[in-house]
Amino acid sequence: MSLQNLILSLQKYWSDQGCYLAESYDLEVGAGTMTPDTFFRVLDRRPWRVGYVQPSRRPNDGRFGENPHRVQKHHQYQVIIKPSPSDIQKVYIDSLAYLGIDLAVHDLRFDEDDWESPTIGAWGVGWQVVLDGLEITQFTYFQQAGGVELFPVPVEITYGLERLEMFLEGKDNMFDLDWSGDVSYRDLRLREEQEFSEYNFNLADIDRLKKSFALAEAEASMLIDRGLLLPAYDMCLKCSHLFNLLDARGAVSVTERVKTIGQIRSLVVRVAQKYCAEQGRT
Amino acid sequence: MEFLLEINTEEMPASHIKTGLSQLKEKIEKELSSNRIPCHSLETLGTCRRLVVVGDFAPGEEDREEIIIGPPKAAAYAADGSPTQAAIGFARSQNAEVGRLEVMSTPRGEYVGLKKTTKGRPTHEVLAAALPAIITSLSFPKMMKWGEVNLRFSRPIRGILCLWGGKVLSFSIETIRAGGLTSGHKLHSPQSFKVGSVHEYRAGLKKNRVILQADERKSIILSQIEKRLRPLEAQLYPDEELLDKLIYDVEYPHVFLGEFPEEFLRLPLEVLSVAMREGQKLFSVVREGRQVPLFLGVADALGDRKSLIRRGNERVLRARLEDARFFWQQDLKVPLAQRAAGLGRVVFQEKLGDYADKSGRLKQLVAYLCDKLDEKKHRKDAVQAAELCKVDLLTDMVREFPSLQGRMGGLYAREERYPSTVSQAIYEHYQPAGLDDPLPSSNVGALLSLADRIDSIVGVVGIGVQVTGSSDPFGLRRHANGICRIILDRKLLLSFDHLLDKAISAYGDMLEKSKQEVVEYCRAFFRQRLRFIYEQQGYRYDLVEAALGAGMDQVYFSYLRLKALDALQRSPHFEPFILMAKRVNNILRGLPHFDLNPDLFSEEEEQELWSSFCIIRENGLGLMSQGEFIKAQNMLLKLAAPLSDFFGKVLVMAEDRRVRQNRLALLQAISELLMGMADFSQVVVEGEKKGKES
Repeated sequence: MSLQNLILSLQKYWSDQGCYLAESYDLEVGAGTMTPDTFFRVLDRRPWRVGYVQPSRRPNDGRFGENPHRVQKHHQYQVIIKPSPSDIQKVYIDSLAYLGIDLAVHDLRFDEDDWESPTIGAWGVGWQVVLDGLEITQFTYFQQAGGVELFPVPVEITYGLERLEMFLEGKDNMFDLDWSGDVSYRDLRLREEQEFSEYNFNLADIDRLKKSFALAEAEASMLIDRGLLLPAYDMCLKCSHLFNLLDARGAVSVTERVKTIGQIRSLVVRVAQKYCAEQGRT
Repeated sequence: MEFLLEINTEEMPASHIKTGLSQLKEKIEKELSSNRIPCHSLETLGTCRRLVVVGDFAPGEEDREEIIIGPPKAAAYAADGSPTQAAIGFARSQNAEVGRLEVMSTPRGEYVGLKKTTKGRPTHEVLAAALPAIITSLSFPKMMKWGEVNLRFSRPIRGILCLWGGKVLSFSIETIRAGGLTSGHKLHSPQSFKVGSVHEYRAGLKKNRVILQADERKSIILSQIEKRLRPLEAQLYPDEELLDKLIYDVEYPHVFLGEFPEEFLRLPLEVLSVAMREGQKLFSVVREGRQVPLFLGVADALGDRKSLIRRGNERVLRARLEDARFFWQQDLKVPLAQRAAGLGRVVFQEKLGDYADKSGRLKQLVAYLCDKLDEKKHRKDAVQAAELCKVDLLTDMVREFPSLQGRMGGLYAREERYPSTVSQAIYEHYQPAGLDDPLPSSNVGALLSLADRIDSIVGVVGIGVQVTGSSDPFGLRRHANGICRIILDRKLLLSFDHLLDKAISAYGDMLEKSKQEVVEYCRAFFRQRLRFIYEQQGYRYDLVEAALGAGMDQVYFSYLRLKALDALQRSPHFEPFILMAKRVNNILRGLPHFDLNPDLFSEEEEQELWSSFCIIRENGLGLMSQGEFIKAQNMLLKLAAPLSDFFGKVLVMAEDRRVRQNRLALLQAISELLMGMADFSQVVVEGEKKGKES
């Protein structure tokens, strides 16, 4: 099965579970959790079911395309279902069977791994799902986002698509994966990894990044005051990515790190609080 | 009658399972006993997906006989023996016929009263009413909510099975209703099945691929390991902590043996085992104590006939080892000394500066320790180790595997051919990590560990953090235990107050608390830690108090004093001597200090006591200052005879004030000498109790 077919299968499977299929968000994010289709929708009380692919950028993980399993951009398949159904673990396990994995002959484990994203004031309790020693999914009961306690509780299922595909194809090098029958992961992504690693680690201009950060931060703050929460949140995402770039450039000391994460979080918390106030809950 | 409770959950962490089971046991037992229901047996069992209680309880609460006292007999019956209004009213208030009232004699006289028998409630009623509250009151280190259920638990509860005497005992928690169903292994036998007894439950789980008993899972794992390794003449590298976790992680264990390319054996053992253990929960394999390119894993599976599980794990491990090798090679490209410049960017504690500051302080402290402890020849190496010991925090390897901190620095230092004293000290300076962890094996490693810990304690206390029963965020207890164990193990003669003083001044003006406050807190804190350590070693509480009461500036001396007291306690001199010492103290209680004038001694016995005392004091003090507390104690015992004669013949409270005060001054001098040995007033002896009673 190619990576493309893996995505199609997951789309089909979760669509059959009643999920709305969203398109990937068009901003740089570190994880599928950060897009509005997750962030805003978990905050209110209304039921929500969504599934989507999200390209996720983590500048620090870049290896110039030389490491067989680390890249600065990978792909997640993100599922959010609220409230979490009581048979959700079985539904998830069935999704693996749907992909053709015969679980009778493999070792599938749910290993304690609580997830946390200080930047968006979010945490959850759950597991990393490990298949024959390979971590393929983060399975989390989302407890808080934007500093707001979530109820009803959403479940978040995040498949690491490249990892899962490496398992399905039995390959040791991510770049050897088939995206489709004719196109390999290498064809599509190698140059991107090389160039972005060079930019992220060596060329990104620290001063301009810092200025961009300040601009996005000011914009976010203005937008929150004016009650335009979706654009405000976009600005927070920009801040988060700019911070990740600065971090990859080694331009963030440990104290600054704590301070900057705190700045972004306080913006995100304001967005979340205003959003909840509008929805009639705090 | 037979009781069975099973709480089905999604995968709980091993530590949660243990605390969950012990709370369940305790709470159910308490509920039974407070309802007077005899509990014949109660056993808890569990896996990551189920918390189970199996018990045998009496069918109901014992009937209760109650006596209710009413009005006095005199007021209850008229002269003709007919009941008065008081008796009628009392009977009515108890819903009883007047005729059932009986006369009862009480300590206050004769009263009328009523015997009432309350039928005991049946056990199933008590349990059905109590179990929801018991289950929802379980507490876990971290709790969560799920779905729309208004309940916090370790992980989502997916079902409850509860049987009493073979029938479903029904109760509800939120939307979860207890019933008679359970299910087998989540992958290999997931269907639900009905259960009518404990026997059926055990048999059903076994059939459906769940090994319910933790010790059975453990023995399966160990015997499979043995079976895999025996033909290879290799051994498991023991890791109790990992084994303990795996026992709860799996419901149906299967052990598999895998291999990795031999070239990775060039990586240090420490790195190999961390990559295996922390990433994939794999065990290392050794032959004659040396790592071989094999590993053992425990799968939750029926078997691995096609070797898919083994091969999958081998592939993942190989990738991890490649990463580790990359980190190892990258890290070695930048020498530690050059990397040290980056320590200024790593915060030690927000208010206490960065690790460059810390290294600076450690250099001062180890230099001081080397000078004081006759390690001058290692002073240079120790200072260098202090300078480099935190640098590995900046390496990729420690960022990836934080548990390797310290050890990694030591390995890199060794590769860079620093003197072995330096690399070993860096390697060992986080030891001991826990109560049973080995201590640093080298002198310099021990001193660096000591310096690092006292620096952390003084700093954290200095910004106002206090350790309480439940809160010790900086692990100060562990640090203090480590310091005490190192001092005792190495018999270090070191003034604790001077060490504190050094450590505090190394911070300059960074600390918020005054020096006095820090010193006082640390003294009390260490005293408490020493008490804990000594009692763990089995010493009597009162002897520990007595030894520590004589001071703990020399921590090691407090141990020698305790050993001397412990020896004394087993000798026939113990009780008379302690009583004598206490007698001296009792006489002196509340008195001001008096000056002693030997010319005023008139009686033979007091002169005798004075001259013995002078000799004993001179010898005793000398011995004590050398730490010879057993000999010193034997010396002090020689005071017993002259002191006894003194008390027998001499009137301490003489009429003449000068004579009296002079005698008291002599006793004060004796008391002071004794106090150098121990605070004998803390010791409890049998004779004393008898004395108090009479």
